[in-house]
Amino acid sequence: MPGMRGASVIVLVAMMALAGCKIIKTPTAEEAAQSATGGFDPDRMVGEIWDSKVVPYLDKKAGPFTEVAALAASDPEAAGAKYGHKEKQGSAPWTFAARLSGTIVKAETKSRSAYVEVDADGDAKADARVQIGPAIRGTAIRDSLDFANFNEFKNQIEWAQYGKAFNTHVNGLVLDKLSRDQLVGKKLDAVGAYPDPAKGQLPLFVPVELTVGG
Amino acid sequence: MKLTRRMTVAAFAAFLAAGSAIPAYAADLIAIITPSHDNPFFKAEAVGAEAKAKELGYETLVLVHDDDANKQSQLIDTAIGRGAKAIILDNAGSEASIAAVQKAKDAGVPSFLIDREINATGVAVSQIVSNNYQGAQLGAEEFVKLMGEAGNYVELLGRESDLNAGIRSKGYHDVIDEYPELKMVAQQSANWSQTEAYSKMETILQANPDIKGVISGNDTMAMGAIAALQAAGRKDVIVVGFDGSNDVRDSIKSGGIKATVLQPAYAQAQMAVQQAHDFITTGKKPAEEKQLMDCVLINSENADQLETFALTN
Repeated sequence: MPGMRGASVIVLVAMMALAGCKIIKTPTAEEAAQSATGGFDPDRMVGEIWDSKVVPYLDKKAGPFTEVAALAASDPEAAGAKYGHKEKQGSAPWTFAARLSGTIVKAETKSRSAYVEVDADGDAKADARVQIGPAIRGTAIRDSLDFANFNEFKNQIEWAQYGKAFNTHVNGLVLDKLSRDQLVGKKLDAVGAYPDPAKGQLPLFVPVELTVGG
Repeated sequence: MKLTRRMTVAAFAAFLAAGSAIPAYAADLIAIITPSHDNPFFKAEAVGAEAKAKELGYETLVLVHDDDANKQSQLIDTAIGRGAKAIILDNAGSEASIAAVQKAKDAGVPSFLIDREINATGVAVSQIVSNNYQGAQLGAEEFVKLMGEAGNYVELLGRESDLNAGIRSKGYHDVIDEYPELKMVAQQSANWSQTEAYSKMETILQANPDIKGVISGNDTMAMGAIAALQAAGRKDVIVVGFDGSNDVRDSIKSGGIKATVLQPAYAQAQMAVQQAHDFITTGKKPAEEKQLMDCVLINSENADQLETFALTN
């Protein structure tokens, strides 16, 4: 895995640099743990590909949400081929990339896993639930990427840490800054991903880009 | 040590030679090796694999390693010695098992892993495992909801050598730790064991009578915990498990345990046998070695549909 090797080299260089310095930023417990686990640093890995790969990939892959959802309902395989990704083996559902535009019709901001529900087709009913953190459920961003592959990771634990790192990143970059006041009625535009929902459930959308206003 | 190993290898070679000398009236053999069937989860795996193997015309050799890596190594030797065409393995430790699976591979016997992965690829042909992280997150989300996002709780961990213990705990905490008002007051391993969970729970309860919930790394420990809680008259404590066993299903239905997460153990084992069969007959490997099977939340709403680690409609 070139990405991981690159990351561990950087960690090594960083450690060497630290060793030669008088004034040092104290390594956090997390950093110490990372060097102890052989330099696996999912947050750094995600940070390195976010602007260069993740956002461009989803921007390009995403279809308008209403179209993606309609195709997923009538022909999931076709929707998956066009807008989605999943591991070749196993039983994970498709995760679709979509561009969601609509009006916020409901906001749950008291829970740590806060969300807004968005009407995308103008019927005043919710069509998707957009997670706005800080607690983000699932691993939709990771699972939407065709260049992220479980088989390139040591085990489920590292794969999980990698998935979580995307959520952490989008929290810091996008969601932390979002005002939680009076969201209902405002317009929302987002690019992001969601796993094909279970029957009767709203798509659980995780944004990588988000604007709320008006 | 080296000498012994060489001698063993020689012994197997002799075995193999003897095996191939047997006329072709015997059906091909598939070895099915799992942890102890005391846990219904592993029993369901073995039963599922055996049924599929017989359906495909194989003889089976069903063995248990009791989570003992040395014993597992001996059982692998047995499988090799008996001329098994494939090994279906729920392994005895993600690090310790690498060598055992490699040994089988070197002897020309392909392994198809189920339930637990090993920290290596390219040694087994398949590793079909439950998406423990996804499942744990489902369980934790339900737990958080049941707890009302606040209160003291206990976590019972599985056996440390088993990667699944770690990954489930991580999945739990990646969800639960987002809620600052949920406080873990005790975290102990009960090694997947019901009796151990019972006694650990008794002790924990004495030190922490103010607990509101218990989240457990598997169903057998959840069963131990709920028994201890009920014996102490604590029917108010929320217990959530992981596996989807019939025992927990029945407990959910009678208002004991609140939720669990179904791992498709039976289907997983059958899929492994199918992939073994494809490999034996056509040499074809699955597209990816490591394969994740998604888990499903079980609570009072769908417990009725659960039977032997599968959901019926």
